[in-house]
Amino acid sequence: MLPRVPAIKASGLRKSYGTSVALDGVELTVEPGEVRGLLGPNGAGKTTLLRILFGLVRPDEGIVDSTGRLAGFVEDPTFYPNLSAQANLEILAMLDRESTPTRIPDLLRSVGLTSRGRHRVGGFSTGMRQRLGIAAALLRNPQVLLLDEPTSGLDPAGIRDVAALLRELAADGVAVVVSSHQIGEVESVCDTFTILSRGRVVWSGDVEALRAQATGSGFRIATSDDDRTLELIRSTSNVEAARTQRGDVVLIATEAALDDFVLALARKDIAVRRLELLVSPLESTFFALTHDGAGPALTADALADNPSLAAQ
Amino acid sequence: MTAAVFRAEWRKLTAQLSTRLLTLVCALGPLAYVLVLKTQSGVPTDALLGVWVHTSGFSVVFVLLVFAGSWGFPVLAGVAAGDSFASEYRLGTWKTVLTRSATRGEVFAGKVLAVVALSEALVALLALSSLVSSVFIIGRQPAVGISGNLVVSGHAVLVVLLSWLWDALPVLAFTSLAVLFSVATRSGIAGVLGPVLVGFAMQLLALVGGSTWAHLLLVGSAFDGWHAIVSEHPQYDLLVVSAAVCVVWTAVCLGTAWLILRGREFAGTVEGRGVDWPRLLRGSVAAIGGLALAAFACTWGPTGVTGDRLEASFTKTFSNLVRYQQQLLGRPAPPQSALLAYTTCSRATNDTNEGPGGDWTCSVQVLTSAVTGATPGQVSVPYDVDVQSNGCYRAQAPPAVVGTKNLTTEDGRDVLNPLLTIYGCFNTL
Repeated sequence: MLPRVPAIKASGLRKSYGTSVALDGVELTVEPGEVRGLLGPNGAGKTTLLRILFGLVRPDEGIVDSTGRLAGFVEDPTFYPNLSAQANLEILAMLDRESTPTRIPDLLRSVGLTSRGRHRVGGFSTGMRQRLGIAAALLRNPQVLLLDEPTSGLDPAGIRDVAALLRELAADGVAVVVSSHQIGEVESVCDTFTILSRGRVVWSGDVEALRAQATGSGFRIATSDDDRTLELIRSTSNVEAARTQRGDVVLIATEAALDDFVLALARKDIAVRRLELLVSPLESTFFALTHDGAGPALTADALADNPSLAAQ
Repeated sequence: MTAAVFRAEWRKLTAQLSTRLLTLVCALGPLAYVLVLKTQSGVPTDALLGVWVHTSGFSVVFVLLVFAGSWGFPVLAGVAAGDSFASEYRLGTWKTVLTRSATRGEVFAGKVLAVVALSEALVALLALSSLVSSVFIIGRQPAVGISGNLVVSGHAVLVVLLSWLWDALPVLAFTSLAVLFSVATRSGIAGVLGPVLVGFAMQLLALVGGSTWAHLLLVGSAFDGWHAIVSEHPQYDLLVVSAAVCVVWTAVCLGTAWLILRGREFAGTVEGRGVDWPRLLRGSVAAIGGLALAAFACTWGPTGVTGDRLEASFTKTFSNLVRYQQQLLGRPAPPQSALLAYTTCSRATNDTNEGPGGDWTCSVQVLTSAVTGATPGQVSVPYDVDVQSNGCYRAQAPPAVVGTKNLTTEDGRDVLNPLLTIYGCFNTL
């Protein structure tokens, strides 16, 4: 049996801008049909890596080997604002040997922009430009699709649509790389993850391996007696808690520890009125992996100071 | 693939408001000028052949060519090409364009071809609009050429079209300059204004010194190439040198622009960067230094503006205009061989009797025996002459000697006196 040829393989990539190191020996391999999440906090080097993969920026060291047609976008997708969505796609089709302009109506339909095809892109919202960016990428019939924060600006329905589209493409053998600084937005669509921090790969593997490393999730809990709940937590070794400025109780615990803790509350006649997941196991692992000064550490105090950590 | 990029770029260019406005100006500008001219009695005497604008539509076309060469063409090149590369930075669309299959070289070539095609198409539109407006509104009477020669209607159309066609070459060079500004500065403003400022600087330099070769190497001088076509005897050597200058400017500008673009990394948009003052300061100092160096170069080297050349040209032009004057007055034109005239020219403030300036005086001695109606004998006609570094001059005679602005024919019509203000150009090579 012949070994599988990666759709894209980057080895030993280094890139500096002056004294600032953007990438430091980054490796990335994506197989056909794989959806890989490229994760990291802001400034981790995700966009620089995508620019190098696209050939927009030359690495100081390292090589990129790609076997197929690359398409996608870096940062936000950009278009000619005085032209319509349809005209923009027609112009991009002209710049491609592989593009088929006759597919444009179908592509606009697939990203939900049929009714806006004749409208000037200058009046589009961020989400609509994201959708058009995906249509522009698909126009190339890509074998490798690189998307930088594709769900940025999309509503929940839009995020679901994009996730479904990416799964469909992967099923057809397209290698997909999706960058994001929010693991929660892409965890449902990705098979594998590469996590960057300060220009280095700090973790790479499949989603199960990442879940296995989870140290705990973040929750907000409301009980019939929050003060006694906090007292109980202090006497429990594997649950960490803190109060937010609004007086809510937040806690960090693994699933098993949380089960034990909720039963312990019941034994003390404390009723649980609300239990809300703030940070998923994958997100907490992501925080832990990227916490070396570049990203926020997931502690109960940090969660209490900023309950919206999960949305970062 | 370059052809596909060209089509894409052409579509973008033609969708821009600036392109549409420029097209409108090129289409209607000459018409507006001719209509204004028609309603006024004044003439643009400072422009070459300017006194003839009410006499022949073809003369109006030449005057429009003078204005276009001074300001119009650099502005046209700047607007057509100055934002073509810079707009991709401003809109952040380089990353969109360069992530398709067209290579960077194909994108560069396609974009350059598109802006050059646009510039030249606008020159053609301007030429057509000028010719049609002028001929229909002013008329298609014979025009007076640069040697005082008459250019009759059919030949005039050819000469006019060849003159405008010639200017396609310096427009190509200025378009390339706009591309260079657009790529190097990443600023649409610099791309549009750059060629205009360079054109203005070259006009200033044309007033400095008399070095013929230094002036010819300035690409702005190539806009004067049409003088060599309109002249009674085409000056092919001048055309060859001007063409070579345009080609070299084009090659240097486009070559430099390509080297910059090829080596550039697209690591982000230029939005929000603000003004890079140190860079702007360095650029301004370099531009002022370059201008000073060019000004010095213009004073260094031999001048082609000499008393001998001026005298030879003036004698010929004057003789042609005397014959034309007689025709206008309804008298038989004296044969060239019978019209004996010679000219002596000198400068009031320069002993060397050479170089451009407004202090030249030419005195034409005419043997009037061949001129019908004139008292036989020898007449001396003094002219104050302003000679430019490109060999073109404007001479003004006292009305007391050559007659007033308008002369009356024997059948009572008023005609323009061709001997009062004389325009001419001689070869400075």
